[in-house]
Amino acid sequence: MQHSKRQPSTKKRKIRVHHHHLKSSIFMASRNQGSAPRALVVEDIKVDRLILMHMLHKLNCEAIAVENGKEAVDLFLEGKTFDIVFSDKDMPIMSGPEAVAKIRAMGATEVKIVGVSADFGGKEAFMQAGADVFVPKPVKLETLQSMLEVVISKKNMSG
Amino acid sequence: MRNLRLNSDSRRAARGDRAGALIRTGRILSRLGYLDEQFCQVEDLQDEASPNFAEEVATLFFKDSARLISNVEQALEKYPKDFNRWDAYMQQLKGSCSSIGASRMKSECMSFRDYCGQGNVEGCMRSFHKVKREHGALRQKLEAYFQLLRQAGPAGAATRPGM
Repeated sequence: MQHSKRQPSTKKRKIRVHHHHLKSSIFMASRNQGSAPRALVVEDIKVDRLILMHMLHKLNCEAIAVENGKEAVDLFLEGKTFDIVFSDKDMPIMSGPEAVAKIRAMGATEVKIVGVSADFGGKEAFMQAGADVFVPKPVKLETLQSMLEVVISKKNMSG
Repeated sequence: MRNLRLNSDSRRAARGDRAGALIRTGRILSRLGYLDEQFCQVEDLQDEASPNFAEEVATLFFKDSARLISNVEQALEKYPKDFNRWDAYMQQLKGSCSSIGASRMKSECMSFRDYCGQGNVEGCMRSFHKVKREHGALRQKLEAYFQLLRQAGPAGAATRPGM
């Protein structure tokens, strides 16, 4: 009896190839520089934190996560440096825009700060606070990839 | 030999049945609006290093969302007509729903927030009950889906429905 083999969906296969390409381009770019981009995730919702961290690791990013704006500010006060920060808007203790304003006030002007929120009204708050860009939730892997490529090329140029 | 072939055929048929059930479940979840494209994005993040990432995310979502729902419930009880507080709690839940692609739940969360904006207590209560109902329904369906995935094994992962 002949059994037809079920082929994996073409769409799925294309997406898998696309992710491999994403990973490769980030990996090659960071290898040229000698270090992976360092990212800080500021997010109180566990699911969102898990997904974002997983995406960043897939893109060969060194990423750490904190749960509110105050913890993010504390890291900068301790002298920690990052290439890129992804911050949620509404968090307990200290909000994303408030943390961004404090980070910028400390003189951390080089770090790329990305405001992330399901609330479209958050864009203005983030931009006024000094964020570089606003991205609505849920964040796409391709969006992260293009942001990281900009960060890496900037790192490569500054040597 | 014939018996062996029959056993092998029936095993293949069983695998096919499970894969078929998996695809039907996935399509039902999508067609009925329980899950949207974002869930596919989460599934696409799975790889050899984290083959069960989607289930891990779903488990965390249900744990977290149960807590957020409880927060809303307590706020409804302890802070009557505090629409700002109710809205703030529900916004968190809505964000979580977006991240996993729980579209029907998200829709009810948005209804609740609209009623908060209108200062409509009855509307808030009605939509909150719907949020809880959708939460329960989604949990049940996703548990069945992941159980099918586990039964289907690696072959099932290859035939996972593109929602």
